Amino acid sequence: MRNGWREPSRLAVGGSTLAAVVVLWYLATTFTQIIPPVYFPTPAEVLQAFRQITVQGYADGQLQQHFLHSCWLVLMGFAAAVGLGVPLGMLMGWSRRAEALINPVFLLLRPIPPLAWIPLAIVWLGLGDAAKVLVIWFAAFVPAVINSYAGVRSIEPYLIEAARSLGIRGAMLVREVLFPGALPLIFTGLRLSLQACWTTLVAAELIGAIVGLGHVLYQAGLDLFPAMIVVGMIGVAIAGGLMTTALGRLEAWSMPWHRR
Amino acid sequence: MSNIIFDRVARHFRRNGVDLAAVDGVSFEVRKSEFVAIVGPSGCGKTTCLRMAAGLDFPTAGSVTVGGKPVTGPGPDRSVVFQQFALFPWKTVVENIDFGLRAARLPLTERRERVGRYVDLMGLKGHESAFPHQLSGGMQQRVAIARSYVLDPDVLLMDEPFGSLDAQTRVVMQEELIKLARVSPRTVLFITHAVEEAVYLADRVVVMTRRPGRIGEIIDVAKVRMDEHWDRHERVEDVMDEASFVHLRTHIWRLLREQQSRNEQ
Repeated sequence: MRNGWREPSRLAVGGSTLAAVVVLWYLATTFTQIIPPVYFPTPAEVLQAFRQITVQGYADGQLQQHFLHSCWLVLMGFAAAVGLGVPLGMLMGWSRRAEALINPVFLLLRPIPPLAWIPLAIVWLGLGDAAKVLVIWFAAFVPAVINSYAGVRSIEPYLIEAARSLGIRGAMLVREVLFPGALPLIFTGLRLSLQACWTTLVAAELIGAIVGLGHVLYQAGLDLFPAMIVVGMIGVAIAGGLMTTALGRLEAWSMPWHRR
Repeated sequence: MSNIIFDRVARHFRRNGVDLAAVDGVSFEVRKSEFVAIVGPSGCGKTTCLRMAAGLDFPTAGSVTVGGKPVTGPGPDRSVVFQQFALFPWKTVVENIDFGLRAARLPLTERRERVGRYVDLMGLKGHESAFPHQLSGGMQQRVAIARSYVLDPDVLLMDEPFGSLDAQTRVVMQEELIKLARVSPRTVLFITHAVEEAVYLADRVVVMTRRPGRIGEIIDVAKVRMDEHWDRHERVEDVMDEASFVHLRTHIWRLLREQQSRNEQ
C-alpha cells in the first residue's frame, strides 16, 4: 500500500508469470530458433494442433471426448478408492485387531508401484475402461487407506476420552468424532491419491486405449507430432488442475473450523 | 447425587519390564455434594485417581465405587473436565455443550433450555456459534465446564482444569466455579497442584505423597471456612488474605516440602 501502489493480486502475478513463459517460449522457438522446431513446437504450431484436434479430431476423437473420457475414468477409480479406502483405513486406525489382520497384506502390496499392475489388469480385463479403472483404483487406494489410518491415530486421546465420558458411542462416535478428527489427514491422502490417479491413467492409456488424453499422447508420439504432444500434455495438466482445485474447495468447505 | 469411595486402591504400571506403583493403598471418600481437592507433586498419581473414578483407567487392587457401584467404564454420570479442555474443534460452542445431551437422546426443547441456561451461567452469550479456536483459553474452559454441568452428572471430575490458564483468568474461573457450585452443588473431585486453589475451592483437601502415591493427610477446609466466614468475601484475594487461609495454606505447603526433602535424601 506504500506510495499509493496497491499490492498486486496473486492472480495478476500468476498471470504475468504465465505470459512471460509464453513470450520466452515464442522467443526461443519462433524468433531465435535456439530450440529447433523438430524438438519442441512453436506456439503457432501448438495452436494449430489445438484447432485440429478440437475441430476435426485426432486419435479417434475430438479433444473434448478425450478430455472427458480421461476425467471420467479418474473420477470412477478415485471414487471407488476413496469409498473403500477411507472406511478401511479408519477401521484400521480405530481397531488394533483390524490393523493386525489387514496390515500384513498392506506391507506386501505397498512397495509395488501401481504401474506394475497395468499388465495384469490388461490380462484380466483387456484394453477397455475396466482395466484402467482397476489400475487407477489401486493407485488411489493405498494413500487413501494409509492417511485415513494415520488420521484416526492422530486424534488426541483426550478427545476420544472426552467423547466416551459424554456418553458418545457407536455411529455417533464415528460420524462426529473420529471422522472429523481424521479429516485433515484424510484430505492429505485424497490429494496424493488424485495425483497418483492421473499418473497411472496416462501410463495406462499410453499402453493401450481407444480414447483418452494418454492415447492422444501415444498417437502423437507415433506420428512424430510434437505440437500435438504438447496439446495432450496441457490437456492432462488442466484436467488434473481442475480436479485438484475442486478437491481443495471441498476441503475448505467441509472443514470450516480448520485453521490454516 | 452420588459419593465416590476409594477403597485401598492401588494402580501399578509395567514400564520396560519394571513394575511401578503409581498409586498405592489409597482410601478416602468424596461425600455427596462435597468438593474434594487432591493436591500433590506431579507424578504422585493424583490424575490416575481421577481417571479411575472416570472409568478411563482401572485399579490393579482395591476398588473405586461411585454411588455404591464399582466403576466399569466412562459414562455421562461422571463428567470429566480435562486440563486440555478437550473441546471438539469441529463443533461450535453450542454444539459442544449439546453433544452429551444429544447422545442421551433428550428432547430438543429440553436440550435448548438446558444449553441456554449454561451459556448464560458461564458467560458465553454472544459466542454460541464460535469455534473453539476462536476463543481464549479461559472461554474454552468455560465451554468445557458448561458441557460437563449441563449433563447434570452424579459427580464431576476435574483434572487440573485451570492448569493451562494465565494467573488472572485462573482467578476469575475459580470465582466462577465457586458461584456455580453455590447455584448447583455437585459431588466434585478436583485435581490440582496449586495449593491456594485447593484451599480456596475445596471442602476437604487430600494431600498425596510422591511415588508411590499415598495419602499424606486430609485437611478439613469447610470447617475453617464456616468458622471464619470466608464466604462473606466476593473476591479470591480477600479470602486468601485471611489469617486462617494463610495458616492452612502454609500447613499444606510444609507437608509437600517435607516429602520433597525426604525424596531428595
